[in-house]
This record gives sequence, structure tokens and C-alpha cells, in this order.
Amino acid sequence: MTALEELTKLADTLTNPYIERWKEKGGKVIGYYCCYCPEEIIHAAGMLPYRMRATGSTSSELGDVYASSTTCTFCRHCLDQAMRGEYKFLDGLTTLHGCDHISRTFDAWRYGKVPTPYSPFYLRLLDIPFKIEALSLEWMRVQVDRFKRSLEEHFQVKITDEALRQSIKTYNEKRRLLKSLYELRKKEAPPITGAEALGIVIASTSMPVEEFNEQLKKMLDEVNGRDGFSDYSARLLLAGGELDDRAYIELIEELGGLVVTDALCVGLRQFWDLVDEDSEPIAALAKRYLERSISCPRMVDYQRRLKFISDLAKEFKVDGIIVQRLKMCDNWGCDSALIQRRSRKEGTPCLILEREYLMSAVGQMRTRVQAFLETIGR
Amino acid sequence: MTEKYQLHRGAYELLKGAEDPTMKNIAQWLGGVLSAVDEGKPVVYNQFTFWCDTMVPMGLQPLAPELWGLLPGAATSFPALDAAHDLGIPSEMCWAGRYVIGATLLDQLPPPSMMALPSYPCDNCKAAYQVIAELTGAPLYLVDCPYWVEDDEESMDYWVNQYKGLISFMEEHSGKKLDYDRLKEVAEESNRYIEYWLEGKELMRLKPLPQNGPWGSPAEILTTFGSPSATAAIKARLDALKARVANGETAVPEEKVRVVWNYLPVLWSPALFNWMAEMGAVIALAIYDWTSFEPIDTSTPESTIRGMAKRALHGYMARQGRGSSDIIIEDTLNAFEEYQADCIIVNGAFGCKWLRGSYGYLSDLCRERGIPVMMFDADIGDSRVVSDEEVKARVGEFLETVMERKKGGA
Repeated sequence: MTALEELTKLADTLTNPYIERWKEKGGKVIGYYCCYCPEEIIHAAGMLPYRMRATGSTSSELGDVYASSTTCTFCRHCLDQAMRGEYKFLDGLTTLHGCDHISRTFDAWRYGKVPTPYSPFYLRLLDIPFKIEALSLEWMRVQVDRFKRSLEEHFQVKITDEALRQSIKTYNEKRRLLKSLYELRKKEAPPITGAEALGIVIASTSMPVEEFNEQLKKMLDEVNGRDGFSDYSARLLLAGGELDDRAYIELIEELGGLVVTDALCVGLRQFWDLVDEDSEPIAALAKRYLERSISCPRMVDYQRRLKFISDLAKEFKVDGIIVQRLKMCDNWGCDSALIQRRSRKEGTPCLILEREYLMSAVGQMRTRVQAFLETIGR
Repeated sequence: MTEKYQLHRGAYELLKGAEDPTMKNIAQWLGGVLSAVDEGKPVVYNQFTFWCDTMVPMGLQPLAPELWGLLPGAATSFPALDAAHDLGIPSEMCWAGRYVIGATLLDQLPPPSMMALPSYPCDNCKAAYQVIAELTGAPLYLVDCPYWVEDDEESMDYWVNQYKGLISFMEEHSGKKLDYDRLKEVAEESNRYIEYWLEGKELMRLKPLPQNGPWGSPAEILTTFGSPSATAAIKARLDALKARVANGETAVPEEKVRVVWNYLPVLWSPALFNWMAEMGAVIALAIYDWTSFEPIDTSTPESTIRGMAKRALHGYMARQGRGSSDIIIEDTLNAFEEYQADCIIVNGAFGCKWLRGSYGYLSDLCRERGIPVMMFDADIGDSRVVSDEEVKARVGEFLETVMERKKGGA
């Protein structure tokens, strides 16, 4: 099996042999939602950060007992999986007030609606600011520090500055490697597809970072010698929120589009910026996670966000932008309209696709993407 | 050339001679907005849960755009909602955000010189105001509220500093300086207002209810809060309520069901509560009143700003929408007990994901305690989504069940 296959297959299951081995050795796993959760803190505590997803879910029946019909289906499926005990490999869970949906479904864990393997189960909500300024950066620093202390207290571990510095280095290495992967996608004939890239980023959130870095190095060697994809009809930037299903991008790519870059939660937004390795670690983490160059639409920071996407489109020479948004997501509901408005002004065609967490209405999506590609295709 | 904002100019002409202090106060606000527009003075948008007490002492004209949209009746917002939809704004978003975006596109709203937006209560507001900022080019200040994971002084300091940041922002963009003597006057006037509000709230505990609720109203706090005309408006309403109590008047001839109304009224159906009253169902408390305020200590500028910031945290939807589900659940259950209610009705506004996301937990607790609770679906401002008949059918059926249950002594 190639390193590429080894990594991308991790996206297709909730857990995987890496996690199983980690648990067999007595390791702890902390789930987290959203790329605003500093993974380095968990890693420096000797634990494995795991980005939450609901891969394999087929229904949200149980989750719907507490999640409302206007809660997005990502949260509903995650809650459903949780209530079914599918996250039994977790030793704790952390999130932030990323959106109203996730905050309310996190309450299900707080209120004991989710069976956990033991009690008290570690639960922590990070109070992340909604804006970028000096005051909020300091508040962010306080929050990162509180997160660190809460992990220390709950698990009776010590997170030293030295460990944090090492974790920052290791995660920065991961980010540099992923960035070099994305650099390859700038080529006229990129050596990997968008679906493969998504699988790799998902893998980076689902296994020990050290092993991921080794695998990714191997994979980069592999793909460097690979013939690129040149038979596409359009180079695409895929933007949007939570998307952890490779099949979604595969569908777009089957129709002739090639996703060459993205502005996705489990994508570029997850790894793009480095942490300053020379500053005090907590302050450096706070700065990196709050002031990232591509924010989530939860942040009242739309101008920087739109500019980043616009610049990204130019940098990767895309022919069009597709924004996928989960139905009921207000943050992406507005941002997708803003992106479309801006990109049209700049002469870049933009298509907004509304979706549910599980692939559905495939025929309709196929038709819309096909029509879009015909309009913009080379 | 046709003057803009004809509906609102008409409303102003109609209200400006009104004797009733509440109407008079609305006229004062409308007149202020229209004069500011006509004279090119700054207009500050204050989102519908953000009080205007920092704007009034600076002599800045507040305009809660959502209230502007409701004034001529929610049905007048339909073209704006359609315009927002055409821009790509999804229809499952809250009416408030969709209206302001659409009205901006249609030039139905006086354009803002700047905007003040709290991070509560929801994603809708933060998302929508960013669109409005892009459409209008107006600077936007986010008053960033902690999630209150730790209810501590550090969180409060952060929040108070946000208030100070807002004042600096308004000074920068208006060229005006905050006069602290004026701030003190406004804070003291607003203390009087709150005193009357709380007094009225206490009277709403009486059984049978002297007057149908909700008692509180966002009308003054969003428009003229801290001015004598705002205080006069609530004072007049309080005097009227007191007179009803003194005369032994009640909201309905026979009070059959006392309701805790969780959330806002259905904004497009002001007659719904009257219809419920005809069935003998009264609103003892709604979200406007789930609040407890301390008077602002006006001894120093610092204590005044801190007091204003602290008080804002307990405003409607600020209190319930700035953290976990705990507050709205506790408030609802406390209200049920304290106001001797018979049931809880939740206006399950589609756009309000934070509210609807709490309902499952609330209904679990209600079930455990034997409290009848019901959530109905509606769009808060768009009657085309769920009709008046559908709402009445759902609410009516529930009220009948509660009445039957009471008859049966359950």
C-alpha cells in the first residue's frame, strides 16, 4: 500500500489502527471540534488530539431527540454517534462556541445525555473571542492558558513549556509538509486530486502527528514522481465549512473539475499558519489560532477572509469557486453570499452548493456542478 | 423627487401629536432618525438586543434597524426578505438578519454611519451584520461578549473593556467626545426607568393577572433609553397597571391558564395574545422580563460604564443567548415557579438555532417535573412560512390540553 493510500483511507472510518494502537498503549484521546482548538496543548499533555466527525453515520435519529430540526446535520450526526457510543475511544472532548449548533449539541454532553466510558469525563468549552484586536488576543491567551490548566488538573499531568515548545515544532512541521503538498497543487498538472488532499488533511487530525509527518514525507516523495492530472476542465477552489467526506469532492472531480485548493475547515484552514517558535508558547499559540490568515465565518473579520480567498484563487490560478455550505449554517449562509458577490465582481465564477452532512440529492448536485463546469470550463 | 422612508415619515406625522407617552417616545425616536438623515448627522445602528444607553449621552442617533422594519408591520418586510434571498441569503436564517440585509439592498433603511453589534445572541446577527457592513461600507464594532465558562471578574473585565472600546470607536467615527456628566445623567435616568420596569414586573405576579403580558418592551431601551421621554413612557404604563390593580381589574374575566412565554412574541401576529386571552390564557411573563437589574453606580465614570456593561448582560436575549443552555432553562423553570404558571410555550422561531437547540433539554426537565411545555414552529417575522391558522391550531390545541388537565386536577 502506498503512503497516499495509507493516509487517505483513514478518512473513511471513524477510528483507525493508529488510534487503536495508541489506546492499547494506554494513551488518551481528546476529541475537539473546530480548528480554533489548539491541538498542541493536548499533544503536550501526552494525549492524542482527534478532530470530531461523524464518518459512518447513517442516521441522526438519536441525535434528533435533543438537536432541533434547525440544527445542522453535522452536529446532529455527531450527537447521534455520541449517543450510540461510537466515540468510546475518547477520554475527553473540547469545543468552542464555534456556532450555535455546536454549542447546543455540546450541552448534550454536559447534561449527561451522552454515555461516556467513565465519569467525570473531561469536557471543556473554550471561550474564543469573535474578533481580532489587542484585547481579544489577550483574552485568547487567557483561554489557551485555562485550557492547559484544565487538562492538567483533570488528568493530573504537567504540561511544561518545554513540552509545549516541542509540540509547536512538531505541529509546525506538519503544517509545513501540508503546505508543501498544497504547493504541488499549484502546478498545471497537480499530482493529487482534491479528494485525496481532503483525505490527507483528515488523516492529519486522526492519528499521532509524528507518524503522520513520517507518512506524509513518504507520500510527498511518491506523488512527486507521479504524473499529474491534466485532463480537467476547470481548476477549482472549494470553500465552505465542515466537509469530511471525500466522496463529495470525488463527485465534482468525476465531472471534470479539479479542486486545486480550498478554504475548508478540514482543509487549508486547519494548517495554513505557523506558530511562532521563539515566543512564549501560550502567547504564541493564542496569536496563531486567533489571528490566522483565513478565519472561520464565526469571526467578525469578513474583509480579511474575503481577501484571503480572493488571493488564494489567484495564487492557485482557479477558473471558479464552489462554496459548499451545510443547510442551516447561518455563518456560511452569509459568507457564501459575500464570497459569491466578491468573486463575481472580480470576474471569478462562483457556485454555492447547499448540502447535508450525508451525501444526498446527488443528481441535483451533479446537474448543477456539470452546468457550472460547462460555463467556466477550458 | 419622492422622499425616502415614506412609511416611517407617515408614522412620525401620525404619532408626533400623540398624548400617550409611549407613542410620543416612539415619535421622538423616529423624528430623531429622520432629522439625522435629512441633516446628514451620524446614525448608529444598534442591533436589536443592544441597548442605546452609550449612544444617547454622546448625542448620537441610535437606529435599531430591526425595529425600523417592524414599525410599519412585519408584512411590509416581505420585499426586503425577497431581496436578501436574491442575494443568496438562505431563507432559514432569522428574519431579523434577512430583513436588514434586504432593506439595505432596497434602500429602505437610513444608511448607518457606524454599527454596534454584540456577539450575542446568535450566529445570525454576526453573519448578517458582516453582510451589511460590506454592502454599506459602514464601520462595524463588535462588542465581544464572553461565553461565561467561568463567571469571574476576568470575564467581566473583558466585557467592560469591550464597552470602553465601543465608546472610543464611536468617538473616532463621529468626531464627538463622550461627556461624562451627560453619561451620568443618562445612567441615572435609566436607573429610574429600570426601577419602574421592575415594579411592574412584580405586579405581574398577581393572580389573577391584572393585565396581559408581556410587561416589558424593547421599544424604549433600543431607541431613547436614559432620556426623560423613555422614563415617562414606562412610568405611564406602570401607573396604568397600578390603577388596574387598585381597581381590581384583571386581564381576562376568567383566568384559565397562565403561560410563561419563552421567547419573543410572534412579531407578525400581534393579535395572537388577544386570541389566547379570549380562550382565558394569559401571558404572565415573556422573555423581555426575564431579567434582574442592579442600579448603575454612577459615582465615577468607570463605575458607570461598568454598570452599563453589566446591566446589558441581563437584557432580553443577551442574558439567554450569551452562553450555554443553562440560563434559558433556569430562567424558564424559575419563571414557571415564581409566576405560578400552568404551562410553558416556546415560540420556536426557525432562525433561532440557539433557542431551538435548548428545547430538548428543557422539555426533559419539564417532563420530569410534570410541567406542560410545547414548542411551535414559526418564522419570527414572516407569516408566509407558517400561517396564523397553523400557529393558532397548535397553540390552541395545547392550551385546551392544559385546561383539561387542570380541570382533572392533574
